[in-house]
Amino acid sequence: MKLTAREDRGIMILEPKGKIMGGPDATVLHDKLHELINQGKKKVVIDLAKVDWMNSTGLGILISGLTTMRNNGGELKLCNVTEKIQSLLTITKLITIFETFDTIEQAVASFN
Amino acid sequence: MPTFFNLKMNKIIRKKDQIIIPSSQLYLTEVDKFVEKRLKKLGLNKDQVADITISVTEMVNNAIVHGNKNNPCKKVILRIKAEKSSISIEIEDEGKGFKPDSLPCPIAPENLLKEVGRGVFIVKALMDDVCYSFKPEGGTICCLKKSLKKDQKLKR
Repeated sequence: MKLTAREDRGIMILEPKGKIMGGPDATVLHDKLHELINQGKKKVVIDLAKVDWMNSTGLGILISGLTTMRNNGGELKLCNVTEKIQSLLTITKLITIFETFDTIEQAVASFN
Repeated sequence: MPTFFNLKMNKIIRKKDQIIIPSSQLYLTEVDKFVEKRLKKLGLNKDQVADITISVTEMVNNAIVHGNKNNPCKKVILRIKAEKSSISIEIEDEGKGFKPDSLPCPIAPENLLKEVGRGVFIVKALMDDVCYSFKPEGGTICCLKKSLKKDQKLKR
């Protein structure tokens, strides 16, 4: 997994690319979120458009990200959830935990 | 005469339908690449390849972490078997085994925010059959099966 980050109207948008399946992937996102918290940037959108799929470790990474942000007074939302990942979120009932949006625009607007 | 498992190994061994790795999560990506490439060659569609490779990474991860306790001297063997109406994947470790029915339910409200514990649950949803056999001398073999679509032919 590769991770890029950009800012849009005060909201941090993280764009992972590839497959999220554990190993080094877990620390990449974790470290990035802590870096953002330290910078006072606590409104985050993860754009999943370029994520082929993820396994349970990948889902665990997202949950860890969500709880990390919420515990620090922030929020983490998802957008561009692909069909395969949507299916995994539904199977595991995590769809009830995450706020998801069809587009980055909608996700960013939801913070205001 | 040393058995296959007793041979010391610190590298990946690849054959046409088999890959053997030391027990380290660092090798998960290699397993994923190997399985994806082989399944595509067999002619499976994108959705089937995704379901199987997700499931394989779950079970190989479990074999490494829970079965072999991350001991790189212990190996995980993965075999792909193309059958007439299904694809079977066997994942073998050198662990002591476990009780499949004893796993906590990951969709219970008290478990929903836990970061781990969804692997087997997801695999059961994505595959058509999941079964285990426990070798008396130690070692677990997990067998995953995905049925092919009606009239779907594999490229051999």
